[in-house]
Amino acid sequence: MRSTDARARTLIASSMLSVLLFSGVAMAQAAEARSEDSPFIMMCCLGPLLLISLGFAVFGILWAVFYPIMFLYGVIFSERNLNRTMSDLVLRERASIDHFGKDPLSTLKGDHIVGGIKETGLVYANVVYSPSHWQLLIAWINQLFGGRIDVLHRVISAGRAEAKQRLREQAQAAGWDDVLNVRIDTAEMTPASKPKGTRAVEVFAYGTGIKFG
Amino acid sequence: MSPALIMQHIRDGIMVVNTETIAGKVITQNLGVVGGSTVRAKHVGKDIFAGLKNIVGGELKAYTELLEESRTEAIARMVADAAARGANAIVNVRFATSSVAGGASELFAYGTAVTVE
Repeated sequence: MRSTDARARTLIASSMLSVLLFSGVAMAQAAEARSEDSPFIMMCCLGPLLLISLGFAVFGILWAVFYPIMFLYGVIFSERNLNRTMSDLVLRERASIDHFGKDPLSTLKGDHIVGGIKETGLVYANVVYSPSHWQLLIAWINQLFGGRIDVLHRVISAGRAEAKQRLREQAQAAGWDDVLNVRIDTAEMTPASKPKGTRAVEVFAYGTGIKFG
Repeated sequence: MSPALIMQHIRDGIMVVNTETIAGKVITQNLGVVGGSTVRAKHVGKDIFAGLKNIVGGELKAYTELLEESRTEAIARMVADAAARGANAIVNVRFATSSVAGGASELFAYGTAVTVE
């Protein structure tokens, strides 16, 4: 289903492009046949280009207006939002620990279970978490002096706690009693070849859910 | 096969775990390493939105969804591979992530296809 969707989308895009191209060429030829001035032909060929550059200009202006506003918003609210996320997480963690009777996540392999296991299956959860540009600026200033960079540490630990909590909630939704062999992967979203891209880390937690027999 | 169908398949037939053994079962046959991967990118609109959200900080929901969908698809491909080999379980599943370009990322899931009794 998904691949046919993608194929249809590609087909539509290419047909639209070819229609645009052919109409441009046809209009240019018609203009030539009527032997009008060259500016008309120029317009036919440059029309799409002009439209695209107009789009870029509008985007650039919007960016220039919105960036300072959002940066200021980040300066004022990013710490507060992080604190709120942390305190929310504590509550959610307590709720799921109440549900399971203990913390369900463990890195054990399951040899310690004596009662036997009825059913097993994979559980996974992920979250993409990013520091605000203000926090990145503070981190950059801290980097000049070296030592501990507390801002980034707090952002990443919030992301990791969120991923673990989602894993607990997934396990709860799927009806597992316990989650064994939990692994937590952290991957950078920004490739090394593109240093100015989105600054974010992805935390991915997975484990094996079990039901006691 | 669609991912939803494959996840149903997982629930019915093939057990997927990341432990080395399946408790209460004995591995009878090793059918080799199976894997599945996808490279995905969000469309430009959501990418720009994620870039804007990045200024403020916090969770980037667009990327979270993107990675979750693609991971499900990678698992689905791995399961299809295992089903083609006639396995009824995949043990010791691992995941690997790499970002190829801007908003595109490659997700890879691999494990050992086995038959259990």
